[in-house]
Amino acid sequence: MIRVLPSDCEYFQSSRSFKSPRDNWTVVHRSTLELSPVVEAGLSQQEALQVLQAARTDAAGGGVTALELLQKEAEIKSIVTFCSHLDKALRGGIPVGKTTELCGAPGVGKTQLCLQLAVDVQVPQCFGGVEGHVIYVDTEGSFLLQRVVDMAAAAVRHCSLLAEDEEQRVAMETFTVETILSNIYMVRCRDYEELLAELHLLPDFLSERPKVRLLVIDSVASPFQQLFDELSQRTRLLNSLAQRLIAMATSHHIAVVITNKMTTRLRSGQSQLVPALGENWGHAPTIRLLLHWEGPRRLVTIFKSPGHMDATVQYQITADGFRDTDQSEQPQSKRRHTQVDQSAASC
Amino acid sequence: MVVLREGMCPGLDAGLLRNLRAADVKTVEDLVSSDTEELARKCSVSYKALLAIRRVLLAQHTAFPVSGADLYEELLSSTAILSTGNPSLDKLLDSGLYTGEITELSGGPGSGKSQVCFGVAVHISYRLKQSVVYIDTTGGLTAGRLLEMLQTETSNTEEQMAALQRIQIFRLFDVYSLLDCLYGLRSGGLQQASVGGGSVKAVIVDSVSAVISPLLGGKHNEGMSLMIQVAGVLKTMAKDFNVAALVTNHVTRSGSGEVQPGLGASWSHIPRTRILLERVEPAAAVSPSGLRSATLIKSSRQVREAASTRTSCSSLIALATVREANFLISCVSCSV
Repeated sequence: MIRVLPSDCEYFQSSRSFKSPRDNWTVVHRSTLELSPVVEAGLSQQEALQVLQAARTDAAGGGVTALELLQKEAEIKSIVTFCSHLDKALRGGIPVGKTTELCGAPGVGKTQLCLQLAVDVQVPQCFGGVEGHVIYVDTEGSFLLQRVVDMAAAAVRHCSLLAEDEEQRVAMETFTVETILSNIYMVRCRDYEELLAELHLLPDFLSERPKVRLLVIDSVASPFQQLFDELSQRTRLLNSLAQRLIAMATSHHIAVVITNKMTTRLRSGQSQLVPALGENWGHAPTIRLLLHWEGPRRLVTIFKSPGHMDATVQYQITADGFRDTDQSEQPQSKRRHTQVDQSAASC
Repeated sequence: MVVLREGMCPGLDAGLLRNLRAADVKTVEDLVSSDTEELARKCSVSYKALLAIRRVLLAQHTAFPVSGADLYEELLSSTAILSTGNPSLDKLLDSGLYTGEITELSGGPGSGKSQVCFGVAVHISYRLKQSVVYIDTTGGLTAGRLLEMLQTETSNTEEQMAALQRIQIFRLFDVYSLLDCLYGLRSGGLQQASVGGGSVKAVIVDSVSAVISPLLGGKHNEGMSLMIQVAGVLKTMAKDFNVAALVTNHVTRSGSGEVQPGLGASWSHIPRTRILLERVEPAAAVSPSGLRSATLIKSSRQVREAASTRTSCSSLIALATVREANFLISCVSCSV
């Protein structure tokens, strides 16, 4: 255990036996009676206890009771998806402080939902939004600026129709397509090394920009589906990536949304479509949403969540973005240019 | 490693201590394992005096054998069996979670490990009125879910709040923070966590594999040692403070394609009881069902059938709807 002690512990600075090659101090968690270098440095038991206490309180913060956590959670808002059925199933929307995974076959709408969330996270608080910025990590080159402009314009239109009181009208002045675009930080990573390096640098970036409330990684599967020398290395990297993401989500209060692909698994002679990156990766995200086709309809299923019931909801992709389905069953199409204007009917 | 200090036993004064240190004898082990005659010559102290010191130190630091009857008496008075809130799971565990032991729940993603842990925490804090320490390393814990489960037990808000106050939550995401937290709990944190009446009776770590598996394998050797360190702290904490330790683990597939708990063979010796949770996929259903099955794969108390590799005692636990948020029991087959 390497821990740098606070600078007032001059006892340890003087004791040679504590300096490792990297000039860190090793604090061994044993009872103070057994800490021989401590005794050599001439500390009494009281002072040694104080030093260990100081070292320990720097560590991961103390616990909270479930009651305090409940009060904190009541203040956290979720990011709406503009598809009211999905928001209802998720009890508000994509939760902030957790990692959510979107899996689905190509073309089903994962990137569309990610772009929609990048716009939705910026909805002002007086409209019930989170009013945060977004970091968009793109590994496949699927970030389409024109699509974001369309979605942003639709969102601005939608909110200005809803604006009733003075506060909301004032907020609408800052909620424009230009500001929406300026609050999206786009990063392009070509392979897994760049992705991991970017995630290493993110905590500092997030500390400088406390307004960020969403991190989108689209997709996490493509860099890791490259050839790896040994599969266990890939599993280890993915596991540590997962822990780092959830640590960032919790400590900086951001929602992390990652996209995954589907792959075929052969089990007992039958083939099944399952999320890629292996079964081990299934433990990593807190919530998993599966986007799939059923005939012409697009459905999204919550199939793993510790806090929500498993549910399936229908959605559609329109010119304005990710929306609820109409009551009239229109034939769905992947390409947005065939859509009629449905912005008024949705939500 | 116990360091030699002044006044540890009669005859060990500052001067002798200095001489011993100069002869590179710093701890009790060094003193006891060194040649007394040679040491007496080097430190210019009488052989008899050094022998007397050695005898006293040995007496102070030896482990004393305890008779089986005394041990049994002690266990009877100190061990408690905590019900998990789910009668069929209790039957699988031989009436519940035993304090002083580590119980492991393993299962694939979405198999219900966290839900079972929530249920245990809620049951202990509400029904048994004892405190629980919940260490969450995956971010899956929401207080809202705990409240939901409590709301099915009682509609009295005060009781719900009191029960929530008895659950202490730690959120950490790497193994060093976990070790810090566990050491902190062992050296006094558990007493502090016993607020609202009732001492801490269970420590739940969900999940232990999430923080250890990134370090296992490859060229790093520290993963294994950190894993054993975590196991050691949990075991001593369970024994010394009479708490039940419940950990969750992920699963991997063995060479033959069979599902087995993760973290390898070294970890498999650590928990006393191991349970494997799996989703039950009814053949006709299209949507995922709420049913899960629990299988006992390691137990020092239950009988295992010779024919199969797993105990044949399994039960179905239905994870109910949001409205009920309780565990329904449906014991399909239970032959021991």
